[in-house]
Amino acid sequence: MNKSSITEIVNKNLKTRYKKEARFQRYGQFSIFVAIIFLVIFFTSIISKGYTAFNQAEIRLNVNLDYEYIDPDRTGNIEEIRYGDFDGIVYEAFYKLFPKVKSRADKRELRELLSSGAGIKIQRLVIEDISLIGSQIDLWLPLDDEVDMLLKGNIDVDLPESSRRISDSQINFIKQLQEQKIIENKFNTTLFTSGDSRESEQAGILGALVGSALMLSITFMIAFPLGVAAAIYLEEFAPKNRFIDFIEVNINNLAAVPSIIYGLLGLAVFINYLGMPRSAPLVGGLVLALMTFPVVIIASRASLQSVPPSIRDAALGVGASKIQTIFDHILPLALPGILTGSIIGMARALGESAPLIMIGMVAFVVDIPSSPLDSSAALPVQVYLWADSPERGFVEKTSAAIMVLLTFLLLMNSLAIWLRNKYEIKW
Amino acid sequence: MKNIDQHNVNQKKEFETVGSISSSKDVVMSVKDCNVFYGENQALKNINLEVGKSEVIALIGPSGCGKSTFLRCLNRLNDTIDSCRVTGEFSLEGEDIYSGDMDVVLLRARVGMVFQKPNPFPKSIYENVAYGPKIHGITSSKRELDELVDLSLDRAGLLEEVKDRIHSPGTSLSGGQQQRLCIARAIAIKPDVILMDEPCSALDPIATEKIEGLINELKENYAIVMVTHSMSQAARVSQRAAYFHLGDLIEVGDTKKIFEDPEHELTKNYIHGRTG
Amino acid sequence: MFGFLFIIILLFCLAIFFIAKRHAINIKKQNGFLHSLPKYYGFYASLWFSIPTLCIVLLYSLFAESFVTSNLVNSLPENIKNLSDNELTLVLNNIKNFAVGNISDSSSFASIQQAADFYNAQYDLIHSVVLYSSLILGLLTFIYAYRSITATYRARNFIENAIYLLFFSSALVAIFVTAGILLSVLFEALRFFEVINFSDFLFGLSWSPQMAIREGQVGSSGLFGAMPLFAGTILISLIALLLAVPIGLLTAIYLSEYADTKVRAITKPILEILSGIPTVVYGFFAVVTVAPFIRHVGSLVGLDIASESALGVGLVMGIMIIPLVSSLSDDVISSVPQSLREGSYGLGATKSETIKKVILPAALPGIIGGILLAASRAIGETMIVVMAAGLSAKLSFNPIDAVTTVTVQIVTLLTGDQEFDSPKTLAAFALGLTLFVFTLFLNFIALKIVRKYREQYE
Repeated sequence: MNKSSITEIVNKNLKTRYKKEARFQRYGQFSIFVAIIFLVIFFTSIISKGYTAFNQAEIRLNVNLDYEYIDPDRTGNIEEIRYGDFDGIVYEAFYKLFPKVKSRADKRELRELLSSGAGIKIQRLVIEDISLIGSQIDLWLPLDDEVDMLLKGNIDVDLPESSRRISDSQINFIKQLQEQKIIENKFNTTLFTSGDSRESEQAGILGALVGSALMLSITFMIAFPLGVAAAIYLEEFAPKNRFIDFIEVNINNLAAVPSIIYGLLGLAVFINYLGMPRSAPLVGGLVLALMTFPVVIIASRASLQSVPPSIRDAALGVGASKIQTIFDHILPLALPGILTGSIIGMARALGESAPLIMIGMVAFVVDIPSSPLDSSAALPVQVYLWADSPERGFVEKTSAAIMVLLTFLLLMNSLAIWLRNKYEIKW
Repeated sequence: MKNIDQHNVNQKKEFETVGSISSSKDVVMSVKDCNVFYGENQALKNINLEVGKSEVIALIGPSGCGKSTFLRCLNRLNDTIDSCRVTGEFSLEGEDIYSGDMDVVLLRARVGMVFQKPNPFPKSIYENVAYGPKIHGITSSKRELDELVDLSLDRAGLLEEVKDRIHSPGTSLSGGQQQRLCIARAIAIKPDVILMDEPCSALDPIATEKIEGLINELKENYAIVMVTHSMSQAARVSQRAAYFHLGDLIEVGDTKKIFEDPEHELTKNYIHGRTG
Repeated sequence: MFGFLFIIILLFCLAIFFIAKRHAINIKKQNGFLHSLPKYYGFYASLWFSIPTLCIVLLYSLFAESFVTSNLVNSLPENIKNLSDNELTLVLNNIKNFAVGNISDSSSFASIQQAADFYNAQYDLIHSVVLYSSLILGLLTFIYAYRSITATYRARNFIENAIYLLFFSSALVAIFVTAGILLSVLFEALRFFEVINFSDFLFGLSWSPQMAIREGQVGSSGLFGAMPLFAGTILISLIALLLAVPIGLLTAIYLSEYADTKVRAITKPILEILSGIPTVVYGFFAVVTVAPFIRHVGSLVGLDIASESALGVGLVMGIMIIPLVSSLSDDVISSVPQSLREGSYGLGATKSETIKKVILPAALPGIIGGILLAASRAIGETMIVVMAAGLSAKLSFNPIDAVTTVTVQIVTLLTGDQEFDSPKTLAAFALGLTLFVFTLFLNFIALKIVRKYREQYE
């Protein structure tokens, strides 16, 4: 076999080899394309379902804040006023728009169009300013979620009446109101100012947001110092021996343990053994802290490793003790990297729900928690709860809650990236 | 110092025919006006050089002078570096290396390469040598491939040492053996030219001696272009030598002449250990 | 009370810091020499003060509640004391709610006011005991520390040793957490295995954990054969891996070997976004988008696909682990030395030949390690399956069936109100133990392989 024949052989095969090359490259491009398509479908699906939740159908009513309904004995006492018949006020104003409706059945159908939040809104207004009693004011009041869904086009009016939750006559009423131009889609402040509710038009994420914030602060206060301290020990002090190897194996494994196992730990130790309250942000924060702790260690070690040994030598060389070297020189240099990794770990903790379900955070909680010991929801768990609710109105609420959750995650990650870019030192 | 260098470089322009070889030898590879840029930086300036059949030509010069860059132009390995741009005329037996007709796969099959650090694939000794013939489809039967592997290992002087463990990993060999394995891997596809990038710099003197002996034998069949840092190695194995300085090719000639009576001041300084 | 105690202790610490520091400065003035900077003496003294006080506070927080509760139970009338555990807990909760002022059902028994007063009085007593004893003890230790301050006393070394100890114990926490997980899950699981045979659990073929509430209730036999759960978990994880491994691996290869900076600049953030999406969100996506879509496609080709099919869940889980596979493979592929690539190119290999015949074989151990880690993530994943997979245990390997998984059952068994000691609840811990041991095994092997691989090329 001489050289020129080899050239010929190679030449002969070249075409098929390049075809294979191109095919292989196309596989790679296809994979990236698939990943991008997934992301696009994902965001279109969530946003298209969720953006409507930021608006809510409201009606403009001229309500008469009559003493007879609110404070018949004219006590002027807030405690009395609190129990006034505010629904009655709303209904009276509403019936006035339909003078022809007389029968009890029709009136009931009318009442169903209004949200029970309407009366509560008036109650809050009145308690804030008692002098309003006796006056007549125009107010925007929320409509029922079924009406909201109808107006957003989520209910098929061509279906037979029995298979939808809104009747023909109710649809008719709404048409009349629309002609009077007193129904409008207003920005849904309730979503951001109230806790959970069984009625989707009154449900909000404030309780869940506060719960998540309380939990994350506890997580950060525990996991961050503990993780950084452990990382410093392992990087700067630890001798090379079997015991330290064992600790390292432990840390790496802990970072990969399924989150639900941490939930079981929390349930068995914090709730059953130590008797801490269920559904409390304190327990949630502790469980998430244990989960985030190895992540902080791993990030901190990487950051400490990137500080060159010459810095240590320089500090030790001028007579600083080891601890002084660490606190005065190494830690300040490694801190941006440590923070970046920790924030990313915290973002993961914010999105975590499985361990929280284990410690009972799936309870239905209306109130906004005011301390880490109160029962509370958390943002991702709220998503889970709403996703499980059968009412149509909750589908868009779920998507909206997801959008809020993703926004927070995005903010945290951007903060991490910003920190990294601003303070990163290339050695 | 820099000014002196500049002055000396300018002086070089008198030898315009630098790099050509006497017509009595057959030219395998020739390079005209080679310029290489890494982004904005010019790494090589107007290099002209010819490589003849059955000769070893040594590229010498201080580190960072562009020897390795030049070597990697000859089999277009610089193509894999995004920021690298090469201009000039390169030809292999009359064919333009950088033209669109020249296939880079075929080119690299015809121009073999041995690297500074031995880089056997993490496969068996046999698979390492068989890799080239296999991807190019050179052999048609298992028996033929076996023979080719044996032959290549034999030529590289490795067969005796490894014949009873030919299926053990290539990485299990010593450094010198690994480098000879890489040479066997290169000659298994019968290239016209073998490029060697400081092939002995990572080896001990005994392994170096073996490789040098091997190069002496190989030059009967192949043209060899070798980058080396060791002046004595260049003197021992090469017939011609080319001295590079800061991206310029200063002087080319018979090794003996370069070492005993260089024409250029810079070459003289380098040979006598005053620069580099 | 907790906050109040902390503030008091903090204030004392601050005061002691300055007192001791001043003392050290005075010693320096007298002797003209002091071993450490004065602030170290301040830290030294406040440390001596705070350690015993914090210990007492810790004891208080751990044991006060159970101590008061047992005293309370003893003080209750005989008829209440003899109630069943559940009812007693209810009464105690009522008393506690009443005691903190939450208006609650006072009709449960007449003397609730009396019991609540007793409860409050007990707590008041304990609070004052804790406050005074901790302060007295703290001050005693402080006086000892104050008197030990001399010019030659090495306060800095003392503080540094304390900090070192703090660092070391932080590292030990990792062991405690692992041990905590193992023990807590193991204890409950062992109680479960007292009732249910271990091999019946591991190899049993039917799972229906409903225990009879009344005697002789039909269909509530309480079968705890976990095989269908293991099968379901494996089926869903396999589907996920079948999607994620090729796509993740090819993406990593393309990004590290072919893509120019522009493609990389777009694709990397996309993968990072995919990996940052919470799993509960993936679960919702599976329920409202993917499952209906798959059902629809199935009906087009005449297949009746369950709306909670393993296929839909597996696909979404696959999307979730694509970034994991891709980033792990990326690390591994880019750690293959450049010299191997050049050696292959130098012989005239094309890029894909180099990748397939040199880079991938060289990177294989690392890639396998990465896939094992991804498998462990898929097996332990909870929210996607809880929301989108089935509840009933069916031993099936058909991807269009609805199957259930280990994690789904853990969640179902532990949510809702039930007694903590029933086999049903304990079964969750047995499942948790299995899950923990299995994923631990996978992680351990995977990390070992990856580590060994890295060392090879370092």
